[in-house]
Amino acid sequence: MDTRDPFRENVLAAGHRACAGCGEAMAARMVTDLIGSEAIYVAATGCLQVFTTHNAQSAWQVPWIHSVFANAAAVAAGIEAALRARGDNTPVVVQAGDGGTFDIGLQCLSGMIERGHDVLFVCYDNEGYMNTGVQRSGSTPHAVRTTTSPPGRLRAGKRHLKKDVLAIVGAHHLPYAATATVAFFSDLQDKVKKALSIRGPRFLQVLAPCPLGWDHAAERTVEVARLAVETGLFPLVELEYGTPTSVMHLARQRPVEDYLELQGRFRHLFASDRGREEIRHLQALADTHVAHYGLLDPDRPGATEASVAARRHAWGGYARPRREPSS
Amino acid sequence: MRQQLEGSHAVASAVARCRPRVIAAYPITPQTHIIEHLARMIADGDLDSEFVSAESEFAAASIVLGAVATGERAFTATASQGLLLMTEVLFNIAGLRLPVVMICANRAVSAPISIFNDHQDSMSLRDAGWIQLYVESNQEAADTVVQAYRIAETCALPVMVCMDGFFLTHTFEPVELPTQEEVDRYLPPLRFPRALNPARPMTLGGGAEPDNYLEYRASQHRALDDAAETIAHASTEYAQVTGRDHGGLFEAYRLADAHTVVVALGSVMGAIKDSVDALRHQGQAVGALRLRCFRPFPSQALVRALAGAQRIVVVEKALSAGAGGILACELRACLQQAGSACPVHGFVGGLGGRDLTVNTLTAVIDAAAKSPAPACRFIDCHETGPLETG
Amino acid sequence: MTRLDFAPGSSIAYHTGDWRVQQPVYRDKWPPCSRACPCGEDIQAWLALANDHEWEAAWRKLTERNPLPAVLGRICFHPCEGACNRRALDTAVNVHALERELGDRALRNGWRHERLTARFTNRKVAVIGAGPAGLSFAFQMARHGVPVTLFEATDRPGGTLASGIPAYRLPRDVLEREIDAILDLGITLQTGVRIGTDRDVDCLRESFDAIFLAIGAQRPRRHPDGGAEGAGILTGLDFLHQVNTGSPPAVPSRVAVIGGGNTAMDAARCARRLGADVTVICAQGPHGSQPGHPDAEITALPEEVRQAEAEGIRIRYRLGVRRVVHGGGQPAGVEIARVDRLHDLEGRFHPRLFAGTEEFLPAGMVIFAIGQEVDWRGLDTLKTLSPPEVMVGGDAASGPRFAATAIGSGFQAASTLLARWVEGVTTHAERESREIPAQALNLAYYRPEPRQEPPASFASPNDFREIVPGLDAAAVEKEAVRCLSCGVCFHCGNCWNFCPDAAILRREDRFTVDTDYCKGCGICARECPCGHIDMESLLT
Repeated sequence: MDTRDPFRENVLAAGHRACAGCGEAMAARMVTDLIGSEAIYVAATGCLQVFTTHNAQSAWQVPWIHSVFANAAAVAAGIEAALRARGDNTPVVVQAGDGGTFDIGLQCLSGMIERGHDVLFVCYDNEGYMNTGVQRSGSTPHAVRTTTSPPGRLRAGKRHLKKDVLAIVGAHHLPYAATATVAFFSDLQDKVKKALSIRGPRFLQVLAPCPLGWDHAAERTVEVARLAVETGLFPLVELEYGTPTSVMHLARQRPVEDYLELQGRFRHLFASDRGREEIRHLQALADTHVAHYGLLDPDRPGATEASVAARRHAWGGYARPRREPSS
Repeated sequence: MRQQLEGSHAVASAVARCRPRVIAAYPITPQTHIIEHLARMIADGDLDSEFVSAESEFAAASIVLGAVATGERAFTATASQGLLLMTEVLFNIAGLRLPVVMICANRAVSAPISIFNDHQDSMSLRDAGWIQLYVESNQEAADTVVQAYRIAETCALPVMVCMDGFFLTHTFEPVELPTQEEVDRYLPPLRFPRALNPARPMTLGGGAEPDNYLEYRASQHRALDDAAETIAHASTEYAQVTGRDHGGLFEAYRLADAHTVVVALGSVMGAIKDSVDALRHQGQAVGALRLRCFRPFPSQALVRALAGAQRIVVVEKALSAGAGGILACELRACLQQAGSACPVHGFVGGLGGRDLTVNTLTAVIDAAAKSPAPACRFIDCHETGPLETG
Repeated sequence: MTRLDFAPGSSIAYHTGDWRVQQPVYRDKWPPCSRACPCGEDIQAWLALANDHEWEAAWRKLTERNPLPAVLGRICFHPCEGACNRRALDTAVNVHALERELGDRALRNGWRHERLTARFTNRKVAVIGAGPAGLSFAFQMARHGVPVTLFEATDRPGGTLASGIPAYRLPRDVLEREIDAILDLGITLQTGVRIGTDRDVDCLRESFDAIFLAIGAQRPRRHPDGGAEGAGILTGLDFLHQVNTGSPPAVPSRVAVIGGGNTAMDAARCARRLGADVTVICAQGPHGSQPGHPDAEITALPEEVRQAEAEGIRIRYRLGVRRVVHGGGQPAGVEIARVDRLHDLEGRFHPRLFAGTEEFLPAGMVIFAIGQEVDWRGLDTLKTLSPPEVMVGGDAASGPRFAATAIGSGFQAASTLLARWVEGVTTHAERESREIPAQALNLAYYRPEPRQEPPASFASPNDFREIVPGLDAAAVEKEAVRCLSCGVCFHCGNCWNFCPDAAILRREDRFTVDTDYCKGCGICARECPCGHIDMESLLT
């Protein structure tokens, strides 16, 4: 067990093999410490599962199970049914990447939600199949370079748009679904807390930059995530029973180039007319989000700034003392 | 008290008495009556269990995986396409050493799609690491599913009880169900030490590397081998509680002085026994052996049991296309390994639900007597059938 | 192990710290405000205490280096604000007003300075001149248990603060009470004693183990025109002295003030309050007219200039006085002409005027505030001696500067002496001098907030009441929190939150890096709002 920090459980302990600067490790560490160790965690196959349970070592300090790629939501449903049968309210949490959520995992996710299981499903969205070497997924945004959507003489990266999984999930009219990201920690904190206070199927999509797959400097992970929100490309919203009930309003909308130029996966767009057309397309997509969710509301300015503002002696916001490990 | 019960009803009632807390299933012919009976029992308050209508068999298998991993007894049933769809999860359950029990209502596999009985589905999963038990009758099905929980939970291995679709599931036979009291006496509550529990956290299902994967598989193989003994004991002890014994690893019929032995799985044994009786009546020293446990493949027990045979006729309802009959091949191998030169005649028939009548079987046994042992011969095959392609 | 269950948290056996090629280091920096402060105040530190509502502790922190915050919070030229990194976000923190608030709060609450030791040394020191440099020196010595005697030639302590700065900028009672608090440490003050005249220098040298000379630069420079003498013609220092001692001269309807420094502005604004129409003749250009050449711009503080103009004073630039024009025993005015060069070939301030550009400015009184020099009368012996026996500080050492500079030099001199005389006091050592420029901050974590300014009221005739009030309590809080805490950790927790590897640990009072696991990604350093964390390469 990892007991190095008296102020935080470190549900996801040190020693895992994630790349330096991994956004998914960061997100998972945040989310699981916010949920705590009194819960059962189910993982889909993916980066998080691989880098935390390698070589007979585990970085998880909680009950944790990994089955196969597509079935995490179904395994969680089974766990929840067993707990419900004996009157046990221990939270059940799924952690999946975008592969295990948008694509191969979509069926089980849909079934779990439709049947109303009391499961929190957290998707760490790094916009590609990163664990297997940066191949495109349904979550990969438009025009992105991946190994299976490479730019070349005939192509400018991924042809198709990023799947709107939040809308798909929302269409199930589940009690709670939200998007969040690592750069807006207090917002993520609020959303996890809210999700934990609700019974029934809940869904969180947490944008997690991948320095390797997105091709940015390891130290810029948080900055890239912040820009994804500030450009409007990744709106932070909450849906209850399928209807948007809150959004994080932007202080101002940054142009998409500010976000794209930090990442090598977009570099090819700056090198040709065709590429620049795709940049305009991405800007149009961002503008559509801003309009659709009302992210720039003159009566509600600057939630993005308020959310990240650093506070004196805030000590990171984890107020919970460590739980003593049982023998 | 004996009742006329449809096979599905019988096993559903037996399952209910095992007190599963979670039942997950996706409907597929010919399993549907099993899960429908269970749903009705729950709706009427006769079974306290969570019934999860999974969105696919893949999900159903995953749900029972999760339930058992949490330390609760669970149940699922499927067949054919559904079993194949579960494949990834079934291998996973076995590798995780979870005591899951399921019923496979044996059915042919697509393409061509067929809803009727054969053993291609469960045979295709023979490498998955599950214990496979094949039953002959509705009575045996009901009794075996109870034993399956005992075996699974003792060995920490999953158990698949295979009952022939339609021939058993949709047929009424007289059945004496074990009482709740008998089942409670025989089957203690599940105690799963690796259950997911915040009080004793552990990580299930991590990765393996080249330097340790082999050991996992070797250990699993040994566990399956060792399970043969548990399977035999489970059957004996069940007989002590209920008075009913269907054999442990296999059932012998007029085997003792048999010169020719017919080996088969499942309900076709009924017709085979009638054929054996007919041939005995004609003075032929014929016997039969119904293999009850296919996995682990009980090589030693079979070699001993068949020591006196001079000719073995395997009648099976499964095929490894491009190689031939499966049971015949495995039996040949284990006999040869033991130094036996007994010829094994392989017959594949009854695929897609085609009836294997007493007359057909008698003719098969006769044919085997008259010619050398072909590797694989199809029973009653219309060679120039409409589906034959150029 | 064969059941595929791994022990929880067993990954900690694998030290991913082996991976890194760079390492984060928590390191305090010396923010630009403190670097710019001539007193060397630890501004970030006292602002932090103020933010924690530890007002008295904040005042004590501030007064470690500057015992006159209520004074300087009114008159300082606040170079701290000019250097403040917050300008890269919105506007500088109003350090000036917050310093004033702490000084005023101390006066309201009667907080007393504390000595650092109960013991007294057996050596004693004399200070000549009870202006800001002398008071600062005496304060530091007294805190460390060194007996101090302060000799002041005039009848009251304060130096230029008392004689030169008018009451509407610095109320008399504020100055007096803050000086009293310093003297309360047990400093002996003798006023009306001019060393070199009333007391002999040699006798001083015998009675004291060291002497600190802080006599200021109190000799006004005279205009080279021989006619710049007589009734109606005064130096700025004399005029202000008369005003400040309560016996202002009668001023005619028009007054000309010659000069561009704060003395000139103070004189002009006093004359205005006494009822005159005032014109200031300044040899330099206006603020901002000569970027990169501060010597060629008016040296008075921009806010003084603004307030003077708002009070109706006319300031005319790039003009010099050729001569005073007399008429009937008093000045009729001055002959002024356009200025060519300001400095001669030796770099001395000596404006040259263009012939043919003369004009006549009528004025019944001419006040020359064209510079000050040190008055060494009777003290020449001391010039030949050297530290530590004799040290010189304040304007006497540097020429006319600012009160803050004087206070800083008093502290420096005291440090030097204390290092020799008192156990455990080292010579003043700066904090590790790593800079913390605005680019090293992460401004995304600070919200733009408007700067709190006190409302200034404008003078009515003969009103010497203080025109710039302090900030109210709410404004003080809002302004103090604008400090970015450049280079000094304020426990926001970003590093701890963001580390993907749980390689930053929280302790009771700080965060630390666990080098067993840190992969050197650099996110902590990048997302630290205040630039407290440095990434150091481990590659050779």
